[in-house]
Amino acid sequence: MPPNTGQQEANAIAKSVPAERYDRFVRLAQALFGAPMAALNLIGNDKQFTVSSVGFPKGEIPVEDSVCHVTVLEDQILEVRDLREDNRFAAIPAVVDAPRLRFYAGVPVRGQSGQNIGALCILDLAPRTLGPQQRQLLGDLGALLEYELTVQKEMDLVGQVQQLMLPASAPDIDGIEIAGRLHPAKEAGGDYFDWMVVDDPANGGKRLQVVLGDVMGKGLSASLFASEARAVMRGHAPFTDIGEAVARTFATTGRDFEANDRFSTLWVGRMDPITGTLDYVDAGHGLAIIVSKDRYRRLDQDYLPIGPLEDTWSMASDFLAEDELLIIMSDGLFDVVDDSFGELEARLRLVYDLKMSCRRIVDTLVTFAISQGATDDVTVLAIRRIAELDATTQGSAAGTT
Amino acid sequence: MSFEEVDKDTYVVLAPEGKFNMVAAPTLKTRIDDLVAAGKARLVVDLHKVDFIDSSGLGALVAGTKVARKQGGDLRVAAAGDQVRAVLKLTNLDRILAPYATVEEALHDW
Repeated sequence: MPPNTGQQEANAIAKSVPAERYDRFVRLAQALFGAPMAALNLIGNDKQFTVSSVGFPKGEIPVEDSVCHVTVLEDQILEVRDLREDNRFAAIPAVVDAPRLRFYAGVPVRGQSGQNIGALCILDLAPRTLGPQQRQLLGDLGALLEYELTVQKEMDLVGQVQQLMLPASAPDIDGIEIAGRLHPAKEAGGDYFDWMVVDDPANGGKRLQVVLGDVMGKGLSASLFASEARAVMRGHAPFTDIGEAVARTFATTGRDFEANDRFSTLWVGRMDPITGTLDYVDAGHGLAIIVSKDRYRRLDQDYLPIGPLEDTWSMASDFLAEDELLIIMSDGLFDVVDDSFGELEARLRLVYDLKMSCRRIVDTLVTFAISQGATDDVTVLAIRRIAELDATTQGSAAGTT
Repeated sequence: MSFEEVDKDTYVVLAPEGKFNMVAAPTLKTRIDDLVAAGKARLVVDLHKVDFIDSSGLGALVAGTKVARKQGGDLRVAAAGDQVRAVLKLTNLDRILAPYATVEEALHDW
């Protein structure tokens, strides 16, 4: 028989979710009931996965050798005073051989699909019974664990959705090497980046547009604003210059930011890979830097972040030489160098190496921030111009963690 | 987070303490909303006891400024420490939340 939805979900969780998440529920069950053993068993179509346990081995057994596979068939606690006295379980290995289980009580746990995916159970080596209050308690623990499972799953999904909103491949434009990486502090966060190729509205020709935004706050709620700001910027960008695109993004999203006491810093750049001309708008972000062998300059302006208050965002112009590196980052990285531009410059010098790929530069900086205990979302983008000759061999996709 | 509040009739001074972050920010913002709704739209946020502000704290100050200005008042920040000044500067929010050295200076034309 093909696995049902609950079994599929159990299989997936058993393989992918770190067991530590559920250990505390199992420990609680064991302690509250004074039982020698407690476990969370997930029931797949042909295997039971003991993903978390106290006094009982973790691992897999054939599903027909388990007690919990019966528990999940009903939406109520299964209690067996002595497994030897129940025909369904008297012959299973854990009863006949070591550890010679006698008592079992398990509460079914539903997954995100609403179907039972496993059971939280307590086990004893001597027959016993639960009182009404104890049964209530076991039910409460099961409900708490179920909530943890579904909320955590939702959070994980939000994180996946957000990662999938990042650019998945190198921009379709010659003469550029680019890489970006976003490491959220929680499953999802308020940082985002984007890149796209647009036609220059004034002079024709292709331009690379890059965006890095940082919505205040962390976690799921911040990620909602990040996806809104990203989408609105994407919608406006092809039709106008970046100053106007930022102003229109404010016009569209300002109400939502204001209603939630939030704002987003934003740095937007648009570059002609042939000439190196780089237009940019800095909406309160302040963390875009051009590094070269002997120079270091910030591409910052005085504009406000996108939020409750209007400003007159318009673009400035700079120039990225072929031996220069443009680094745009979020304050998750800036924080770990003590919010000091001197320290940051020293750190960037270490990655200024024409032989190092943008991918490697980005990975090095993000890994550094994580190793320094960054508590905020960390995002880094690295961009440089490459000679036409190299352009065909040097495409670089975005990677994310 | 607790914060001190001194109502001087023509203005109100709010003085948060410690970490002005995502835990503390909504409490202060709610109080600002209530004060402005009650006609007290001249507000000084005295930051001398704040040793750390995060973006949520900044968000509360920016939103509070907008609310106060809508009612013809203003929100001014005073006595900010180094960390607070640094983030105000990085985000350019010092343009609307110019940090005054003292509460008295923040009151100069009220």
